[in-house]
Amino acid sequence: MSGAGLEDVFLSTSLASYLDKKLLVLLRDGRKLLGILRSFDQFANAVLEGACERVIVGDLYCDIPLGLYVIRGENVVLIGELDLEKEELPARMISVSAAEIKRAQKAERDATDLKGSMRKRMEFLDLD
Amino acid sequence: MLFFSYFKELVGKEVTVELKNDLAIRGTLHSVDQYLNIKLENTRVVDQDKYPHMLSVRNCFIRGSVVRYVQLPPDGVDIDILHDATRREARGA
Repeated sequence: MSGAGLEDVFLSTSLASYLDKKLLVLLRDGRKLLGILRSFDQFANAVLEGACERVIVGDLYCDIPLGLYVIRGENVVLIGELDLEKEELPARMISVSAAEIKRAQKAERDATDLKGSMRKRMEFLDLD
Repeated sequence: MLFFSYFKELVGKEVTVELKNDLAIRGTLHSVDQYLNIKLENTRVVDQDKYPHMLSVRNCFIRGSVVRYVQLPPDGVDIDILHDATRREARGA
């Protein structure tokens, strides 16, 4: 960023202010990663330390630890700063084990597939 | 460069950014860059119940490539100035 004036530094949409903070990273495939930002670059590639994936199915959630992650910037949708004084999730949500959340994910996938296949079978009715 | 300059004028205004994954976030425009990446402050998610993981997020960085719309306050735009700048850009570029 050569030739940047003082004003540009203030306005700069840099991830520098997020360094060493615990962040929520939303990915294009719908995954939610949490971790501490240790590094980034102009493509929004990022290094997250102590990363975990928060899987949410309905009111159930599970944090799956991942360790040190390098995220390719093209997959990043949003990087959010978590307010440590606020609850990260609504109180109604229940933490479950990884095995249980995988079961819940499968159940949700099956329900969506069933809905999709039923819709296909009903298509001939032309209800619209 | 035109939209980058345009968004720079909107810093400090309340906007709603709708993303390609249908998530919509309302907040104050803090900064923008040449890729039209956006930083929002004081954010609230539209339809919060659908996105429980966003509950404690108050500031965020949004990658320009994932933005579908940026909804602006109706008085946030001086259409004539924008119009002139567009004509100039089209002529020059």
